[in-house]
Amino acid sequence: MANRTGTAQRPNGSTQGKICQFKLVLLGESAVGKSSLVLRFVKGQFHEYQESTIGAAFLTQTVCLDDTTVKFEIWDTAGQERYHSLAPMYYRGAQAAIVVYDITNQDTFGRAKTWVKELQRQASPTIVIALAGNKQDLANKRMVEFEEAQTYADENGLLFMETSAKTAMNVNDIFLAIAKKLPKNEQATAQGGSGQGRRLAEGDTGAKAAGNCCK
Amino acid sequence: MLVVYQDVVNIVQSKFSSTEVVKCIHLNVSPVNESWNEVHRILALVECNSSYALFVFITKKPKPSSISDLSVETAIPIDSNFSCDTEPIDNCQSHIIFIVSFRNRKLQFKIEIGVESSNFASEVIWSKEVSSSNKLDFNWLGKYTCATLDQNSKKMSEMSDQCSDIPVLRHQLAHGQAASNRESILRYQLKLKEPEYTQHQEFSIFVGTWNVNGQPPSVSLRPWLSCDEEPPDVYAIGFQEIDLSKEAFLFNDTPREAEWLKYVMDGVHFKAKYKSVAVTRLVGMQLVVLVNSKHYQFVKNVSVDTVGTGLLGKMGNKGGVAVRLELHNTSLCFVNCHLAAHVEEFERRNQDYKDINARINFRKQPPSIKDHEHVYWLGDLNYRITDLNTNQVKTLLARSEMITLLKADQLNQQKERGSVLLDYTEGDITFQPTYKYDLNSDHFDTSEKARPPAWTDRILWRGDGIYQLAYRSHMDIRISDHKPVSALFRSEISVIDQSKFRRVHEDLLKKMDKLENEFLPQVMVDQTEVTFDLVKFREPQSREIIIANTGQVPAEFEFIKKLDEATFCKDWLRITPFCGTIDPGEKCDIKFEVNLERELDKVYDILVLHLKGGKDMFIIVNGDCQKSCFTSSMATLCRAQVPLLQMTEEQRKQAENMESRVLYSIPRELWLLVDHLYRHGLKTRDLFESCALSDELIRIRDWLDYGSLDPIPGSVQATAEAFLLFLSFTKDPVVPFEIHDACIAAANNYQNCRLIIQQKMTDIHRNVFLYICMFLQEMLRHSNDNGYDAKTLASLFGDILLRDPIRNSKPQANRGKANFVYNFLVNDLSSSLIPNK
Ligand SMILES: Nc1nc2c(ncn2[C@@H]2O[C@H](COP(=O)(O)OP(=O)(O)O)[C@@H](O)[C@H]2O)c(=O)[nH]1
Ligand SMILES: [Mg+2]
Repeated sequence: MANRTGTAQRPNGSTQGKICQFKLVLLGESAVGKSSLVLRFVKGQFHEYQESTIGAAFLTQTVCLDDTTVKFEIWDTAGQERYHSLAPMYYRGAQAAIVVYDITNQDTFGRAKTWVKELQRQASPTIVIALAGNKQDLANKRMVEFEEAQTYADENGLLFMETSAKTAMNVNDIFLAIAKKLPKNEQATAQGGSGQGRRLAEGDTGAKAAGNCCK
Repeated sequence: MLVVYQDVVNIVQSKFSSTEVVKCIHLNVSPVNESWNEVHRILALVECNSSYALFVFITKKPKPSSISDLSVETAIPIDSNFSCDTEPIDNCQSHIIFIVSFRNRKLQFKIEIGVESSNFASEVIWSKEVSSSNKLDFNWLGKYTCATLDQNSKKMSEMSDQCSDIPVLRHQLAHGQAASNRESILRYQLKLKEPEYTQHQEFSIFVGTWNVNGQPPSVSLRPWLSCDEEPPDVYAIGFQEIDLSKEAFLFNDTPREAEWLKYVMDGVHFKAKYKSVAVTRLVGMQLVVLVNSKHYQFVKNVSVDTVGTGLLGKMGNKGGVAVRLELHNTSLCFVNCHLAAHVEEFERRNQDYKDINARINFRKQPPSIKDHEHVYWLGDLNYRITDLNTNQVKTLLARSEMITLLKADQLNQQKERGSVLLDYTEGDITFQPTYKYDLNSDHFDTSEKARPPAWTDRILWRGDGIYQLAYRSHMDIRISDHKPVSALFRSEISVIDQSKFRRVHEDLLKKMDKLENEFLPQVMVDQTEVTFDLVKFREPQSREIIIANTGQVPAEFEFIKKLDEATFCKDWLRITPFCGTIDPGEKCDIKFEVNLERELDKVYDILVLHLKGGKDMFIIVNGDCQKSCFTSSMATLCRAQVPLLQMTEEQRKQAENMESRVLYSIPRELWLLVDHLYRHGLKTRDLFESCALSDELIRIRDWLDYGSLDPIPGSVQATAEAFLLFLSFTKDPVVPFEIHDACIAAANNYQNCRLIIQQKMTDIHRNVFLYICMFLQEMLRHSNDNGYDAKTLASLFGDILLRDPIRNSKPQANRGKANFVYNFLVNDLSSSLIPNK
């Protein structure tokens, strides 16, 4: 199980609230700013030249809510089309997804919609999906209207924010909004990720272990 | 300094700069009360410009052998806030606890008693002596205390706060251990940072004790419990001998418990409401803990336990009952005891005290009395006044010579000697002895026995921030031969400031995230796309990629399966090694070897290189493939008017789709191979057993695929092997997979075998089959030369002509296949050759 709902004890033993662990995956066309959003959220940094992701990067980050602590295990996937077939490895078993597009590029919005559809069909039915219209700092070159995306998000029950990894606008907020929306009860967190989630607490059980050496 | 450890001292010294001198070290130190104490520690006393600091190192091995085995856990400045002490361990002669206190922290280490420990302790104490006079500069410590993680505590005064950072986690991560201890580390760190989010709040605590001599309650307890002006926040009231009956003793059951509880509830201070936190009893010993109801919600983790030390060392006529609880953030423990009686039994009483300490187990953290922050010890301790007879005592009392009397008090004497209640404090006794009185009077025992008066009923405490406000007896309560005693305390209870706590908590989580991310395995690969040259049948090629560990921890890598795939790579690829571990700064070469044995237009796959506990990387492997007759279908080959690689794309497509005309009854390539063997190989001994060099085979492959007027470029053995390979790898086997079972079933009847090949095989396959069998019959005519008999050939060719879809998946069927083929090697085939139309 990728999740674990533990109960931290305060020094005096009173319960402090649950620590919930969730697997979150970022999807979207390449170069829309997925890695940049993660970098901003986790390390508070931004790189003009962000190396393109060939694989699935992994980082963790904890968010404190009023009564719970949410620990995200973030999988930042490669956006290039040729790696598309591998995406299910990462979104299967994820409790949350951020589908990212670039507001200055209409095609990336179209691609985002395709991702949303794929998630709705193939991912866990309880997955929390957020749509992020990134590069909001380039609003003067905007090609995707805010209202258009908002309407689409509403129709599909998605969280939606325009973000900027460059200025940090709405970056923490979108993760926080997801954390708030995620179910914190034992049951909801216990089912979820049987897939690629990193097993922090239990140690990797090698569920991904490969087959035998090929002939 | 002990010479034995000089090598270790040198290693420890190498952690420091030259102005920082390791004065002495202590090996084999284990922290007390920690869940990760499997990690070894070393203590080191280090001096720099005449300021001293005590370093706690985490070490990989009990005796480190290199600098990388050590990491600094804590650095403690030895300044005026520093003190150290030792404490014996109950029932343990070999080890003691070495206690280091600095500012609001206390670290406890278990160390072995010996030369090393006494040397070390005296060096530390000496360094403290010489330090206290000077003005000290501890800036040099900054670099050892994870200062980068604690930007906000730069000031010297906060030096020790920095010490508490997360070295254990760092250490574990750096050594590739999963952060499974995350939660216990978080708890520990929160504990260390307690001063940052707690503040002291004063609580008044009323502790009372009374031996009721088996009397039922009959008078109000107000004069005892409500004697103070203001209501206390907490009551802890202990009784002894509430029931002296046999039933109580044998069955530990008495109606008195409820009765006394009721009298207590009626007797508590009227200015406040009280709620019961715990009531516990063993035979006649009862302990009631109440709190002012406004504090009730801040009481947590209440637990009780009782210990009998009476008859047989375990009966409940003597012993202790205890309640532990946490009030806000401070752990409290109340122990009510009734120790052994009789003047001369003081050693028995000392022993009872030790037994109670050793045997009380709250089955909660912490389980034993001594680990509580505040402990109140009350009860009928039964210590008497020695060496004075009743009259002498009474005379001294009449003369108010308390000092003389208290000197003769056994508890004071035993405590002085360290035999009991060693680190407990008792307030000054200003009241008369509370035992033994004539009932309903204030007269000391006038009976025949005339026991000398004694201070049997006492209250002591242990812990920081406890101040006694009153210690007294209550003469007005006369129903017992003892007088009740009470003490009022003002105790500092640590209270959590929720908003500060959250900030500290969040801060710690952030730091742990940062460390965790920093210590994720990281590698780089020199290429993410591997392209092979034109991939040809049975002509392996390899490429290498380099994985470099660029992170700070060993990287365990492994190529993993994609969803819904059975293996981590395709059958045409071989990866060596496909898993392994790379140390930081090291590299690993991975070899990809392609070997094509089936018909593919191109090879293409995305490999997933997974780092355990970290990211995945994708590596694309691809290459174009060259067609070969060896992997084509027989139907295609029979339609090819020119060698495969001379065909145009168009021609090949048509042949593959069986759109063009069948030109040959068997593939031309097969004919070329067999014809050569027929002419040159019939008499070759062990024709099919030699293993030809693979470039000879490659030349034959190219000779067949490109076409040539030259003679076949290889020995007859190589040709024979090419022939076997051809039959083994063509897209379709000579005998179709679907009819293998029928063939095996028919194997003992030649006519049935003939029927099968006539009815169930296409013309091309049947032709090939019979053609090969005829050739083999020809071989058998030269058995004397080539050494083959029908059985051997049938077995060899049964496997090939009826090859399994997955090689050798059903080896048990081989015999049936051989039998089937055998029929066609020993019977006349001429009738089979007639086309079946
Ligand atoms: N102006 C601007 N540039 C961005 C923003 N986010 C990412 N970028 C840039 O867009 C490029 C691609 O970003 P990257 O994070 O690699 O995208 P990914 O392929 O989706 O992971 C990089 O050059 C980033 O510096 C943003 O919010 N504003
Ligand atoms: Mg990326």
